[in-house]
Amino acid sequence: MAHVSVRGRRLSAIALILVSTLLSVPAGAQSREETLRYVTGGSVNTLDPVMLGATPEATALSSATYDRLVAFDSRPAGDYRVFDFESLRGELAESFEVSEDGLTLTFHLRPDALWQDGRPVTAEDVKWSLDRAVSAETMSKAQLATGSLTDPSQFTVVDERTVRITLEKADRLALPNLASLYAPIYNSELAREHATDEDPWALEWLKDNTAGSGAYAVSTFRAGQQVVLDVNEGWANGPRPSFRRVIVQTVPEASTRANLVERGDADITLNLQSQDLRALEGRDTVKVASIPMPTAAAGLIFNTRMEPFDNVLVRQAVALALPYDNLFETAVLGRGEKLYGAGWQGEPEEGVFPQALPWSTDLDLARQKLAEAGYPEGFETTLSFGVNRANFAEPAAALIQESLARIGITVRIDKLPDPQMAEAITDKRLPMLIERTLALFPSTEYYFRIFFSGPSRWNYSSWDDARVNEILPRARFEADQAAYEEDARRLVGLLAEEVPMTYFWKQTLDVVMAPSIEGFTAWYHYNVDFRDLSRT
Amino acid sequence: MPTLLVRVPVRLLSALPALFGVLALTFVLMRVLPGDPAGLMASPSASETELATIRARLGLDRTIAEQFVLYLGQLARGDLGMSTTSGQPVLSDLAERLPASLELVALSFLLAAGISLALGIAAALRPNSALDHVARLVCTAGVSIPTFVSGLLLVYVFYYLLGWAPDPTGRIDVFAIQPPDVTGFLLVDSLLARDGAAFGSALSQLILPATTLCLFVLAPLTRITRASMLSVLESDYVRTAESLGLGRFKIVVVYALTNALLPVLTISGTVISSMLGASVLVEKVFAWPGIASYAVDAIMASDFAPVQGFVLLMATLYVVVNLTIDLLYGLIDPRVSLS
Repeated sequence: MAHVSVRGRRLSAIALILVSTLLSVPAGAQSREETLRYVTGGSVNTLDPVMLGATPEATALSSATYDRLVAFDSRPAGDYRVFDFESLRGELAESFEVSEDGLTLTFHLRPDALWQDGRPVTAEDVKWSLDRAVSAETMSKAQLATGSLTDPSQFTVVDERTVRITLEKADRLALPNLASLYAPIYNSELAREHATDEDPWALEWLKDNTAGSGAYAVSTFRAGQQVVLDVNEGWANGPRPSFRRVIVQTVPEASTRANLVERGDADITLNLQSQDLRALEGRDTVKVASIPMPTAAAGLIFNTRMEPFDNVLVRQAVALALPYDNLFETAVLGRGEKLYGAGWQGEPEEGVFPQALPWSTDLDLARQKLAEAGYPEGFETTLSFGVNRANFAEPAAALIQESLARIGITVRIDKLPDPQMAEAITDKRLPMLIERTLALFPSTEYYFRIFFSGPSRWNYSSWDDARVNEILPRARFEADQAAYEEDARRLVGLLAEEVPMTYFWKQTLDVVMAPSIEGFTAWYHYNVDFRDLSRT
Repeated sequence: MPTLLVRVPVRLLSALPALFGVLALTFVLMRVLPGDPAGLMASPSASETELATIRARLGLDRTIAEQFVLYLGQLARGDLGMSTTSGQPVLSDLAERLPASLELVALSFLLAAGISLALGIAAALRPNSALDHVARLVCTAGVSIPTFVSGLLLVYVFYYLLGWAPDPTGRIDVFAIQPPDVTGFLLVDSLLARDGAAFGSALSQLILPATTLCLFVLAPLTRITRASMLSVLESDYVRTAESLGLGRFKIVVVYALTNALLPVLTISGTVISSMLGASVLVEKVFAWPGIASYAVDAIMASDFAPVQGFVLLMATLYVVVNLTIDLLYGLIDPRVSLS
């Protein structure tokens, strides 16, 4: 293998010289230099980021094509930047205020903000967009409801440049939701021209057209294949973007994407295979960044409504029998941040979540717990995962199977196609599954609300704990940071004790880019925001 | 000739029951297979009401029979439904992607037919010679290496190592300007626009995927050409022609080949039809926007309408290809008629 790669390097060096000779034609050099080519395994299927069924890439594209009222800040983390959930800045809004009681949010729009068609951005546009978000059948409706934004009467136009939002209770997530990609602001005049009686919110038209004020305008859109964006010259709602043109292209095969970036034909890509990443890290032709995602955690989930996992002792026994270190080294080649083996007992020192839980491998204690639970001889069960998690879940499942056999539990591994997995999860009929949880916001209360309460499909473990249910509604509207922190620590403590799920690691966002690309920022949507990037 | 004008439409009409059967079968299969399309479409924080809304919008709250009747009604109006994954009408998705597939399949087939006829004839003229063994080796290798392996191998050698091939993504260089869309066939459109650069780019993008697909179908075509030529070369009329002292070229090409072509033609029909569906891995490796990868993606997402549309399209193409082959029989062998 070694000599192949040396030869490959020599040939690609020759090719590089050839390419750079070709590129030295002034006009060509300039346009390629100023063009960012992003190759992705996913696809952009709509230009409306909140359409039901919009792909993650389609939603993320709107960070460039639309603006929101506010945006998250970012902070440096190593060579790159990571979003800062605690700090917000204005985007379309020049400034904003939150009233003392937290019930009124006032936004002052930038006087110079323009739509891509040249019309000025008004408070009416904001009102229409937020009304659409809470009224139309889109993904926004459910998402904004998590921040107590549910009714058009909450949004008032004060004057041409001022919008007021009123809340019934001071929801901690109202502002973060407005900063999310689920609250884009539309050019209401343009959208309304294409609305019909059956479709008052122009859902159909906005699928294939944009009515935004974003930093980039769409010049070509081929659903599922390619999107070409050109910079919006007049844009001044944030730092000026560096690339004049962005090409987003769907290339399903991961190794082809790796080749493209390595050859310098593409500039950036995500989601390569661990083995490819390891190989690429050893070469100086590309830059590889592996950034642990603050909100993405993988682990083993138990169905707490199904025998034998309705018994907390059984869940604890399994959590004690998992080969954590081996899983981490084998299934993700040590990429990510460990979420096991913490030193604390009872409650953690900080309330953030996901954070490491105090579970680690102890087979003797596991056997003891299992006997105590009434299963001294063990039992048989099934471990399921979806095909799109196979790259880490498959090796993990094999290791778990082997390890649980040592305490007498016989595991049958069941790998399901994604639609079947989705159906089985909705039906809550899987006893044990490997999944990845990804919350939109790094908020402990929000994480528990989505994944550990209520009958929703996202409560994989069907965990229904009276203590959690009591804390959640209180924490959501808790204005006092110290009191909130206390509730959050209590929640994490309960999770560690009851183990509806045991955690392996925080996943990494793996970015492979040309050495000349600077400024990559890991946003909460874990996709590329083209506005951040530049070429040196 | 007037009989042909009557017989072709009759043949096409007689294919309708078969099309209907295929359609009904796919329709029921897609719905009885386990899968939750609404669950896949829903947003990360979706509630049960949102899931119910999506199910109602997809019509999944009705019985299968009701859904089928509604679907047939749509079909009668020329509406193949909407794709939930691409968000576009299935008809326009297929119309956009079919030319890409046809262009790829046509070029691969021409390549494969040319090579396999030459190889097959050469092998038949000198059976068990070194050339015959080479032909056998090429065919065995072509058919036994999966297309994604040969595709990735070609990419690795000709793009990554040698840098001869353009970057293996899509139908035309991403930085090139695409010719105006007239027929959807980029080679034709670029010629119509008199755009030499676009034509060159489209052709060079086609070479690697077409070669990959061509390798895959080389074996059946070469083997059947060889076998058929062998039996014809041993026939009485070839011996007669030889004894009459006719030229070697005339014997092989005019008398032997023409007669040997019928079975080759039969296989060609099957090969072309299967290439359209079997090119999915080639389409994935080369990011080729064809119909096969479109259908596979739809199956993965439990997206019913595109799968049904694809099956209907493929069934229709099979009918058309078979009809064309039957018509060609008549041209090659006057004894065969369409009836």
